[in-house]
Amino acid sequence: MVDINMTLVAQIFNFLILAAILTKFAYKPLMKVLKEREDQIAKSIESAEADELKAQELLKEYHDQLATARIQAQEIVDKAIKRAQEEREAHINETKREIDQMRKAAQAEIVHERERAVAQLKGEVVALSMAAATKIIGSNIDTEANDRLIGEFIDKLDKDKMGGLPC
Amino acid sequence: MHEIGVRHVAQIAGFSFNMDTLYMTWLAMAIVILIAILATRSLHVIPKGWQNVLEIIITGLQSQINATMGERGKLVAPLLISLFMFILTSNWLGMIPTLSSPTSDLNTTLGLALMIVCMVHVLGLYFKGFSYIKHFFQPFAPFVIINLIEELAKPITLAFRLFGNILAGEILIIILLMLVPIWMPIPSVVWLAFSLFVGGVQAFIFTMLSMAYLASAVKQDNH
Repeated sequence: MVDINMTLVAQIFNFLILAAILTKFAYKPLMKVLKEREDQIAKSIESAEADELKAQELLKEYHDQLATARIQAQEIVDKAIKRAQEEREAHINETKREIDQMRKAAQAEIVHERERAVAQLKGEVVALSMAAATKIIGSNIDTEANDRLIGEFIDKLDKDKMGGLPC
Repeated sequence: MHEIGVRHVAQIAGFSFNMDTLYMTWLAMAIVILIAILATRSLHVIPKGWQNVLEIIITGLQSQINATMGERGKLVAPLLISLFMFILTSNWLGMIPTLSSPTSDLNTTLGLALMIVCMVHVLGLYFKGFSYIKHFFQPFAPFVIINLIEELAKPITLAFRLFGNILAGEILIIILLMLVPIWMPIPSVVWLAFSLFVGGVQAFIFTMLSMAYLASAVKQDNH
């Protein structure tokens, strides 16, 4: 059962042949592929890292841009609000001024109307007085002369009144 | 009836050869080479099929070799990987009925063990020169006796461990088949499963010890 003979030597040679075959046809090509894979993975990791770095940079850039954009937007809004306020104020001022003007115009017209009414009244008073006087005198002198006479009289009256005698 | 350990011996050129062992060895070699061909037939950077199997074996052993031997391990790495694959296939071959393991013949195991020990000494002398011889006389000159016994024990333990385990596995399978009736196959199946495990473990142990012995000769000394 435990007899040692030349099989021992044959087995050594058998194994060495097997080792040689495996080394040449399996081990070396496989190691090459393993090396290739290692390189590829290393390259992939490297490129992934580079990509991540780039992505982070890009993200930072976008964040910066976003912040700038926000600030700009705020500025624009502020400016718009300010301008709107200014416009409103200007508008209000103008409206006020217009109202003022209109009031002044109205006042002026009132004064004017009053003066006209006074003048009309004066004319009517003259006519009435003249009619009264004509009736009293009985004869109508020259209408023109009458007008003048009575006008002078009333003017004098006015002058006296305005001359410091308040009614 | 299969008789345990009785082999057909042929006389060729005045030397005797165990032909059964040689046939089984060639069968094991053929299987290993077939697997290698299947694995490397179309190599891809992204592995699939048999390439995965071979890669697991190679990278697993390679990392062990790198850890124990360092840079010089590359020299013996293909040999150790072939050794593992050959012994594993040989061990498992014996589990197929009518076949027997080449490793259940002491000629095979002792041959491999002697080959490893010879390589240890040759590589030791090549890499370390005189200091390799000197280390047999450490720490004192009389220790040479103990050291030589240790060196002799290396191939013997290596060979007999593998031989004994595999032979015991084969013997027990035959005995179980004789003792237990055929309609009760559970003990045989359990023992077969255990043999499968033992075959793997023994192949691993043989390879690891060879690696350790080679490492002591090859490894660079720091002092």
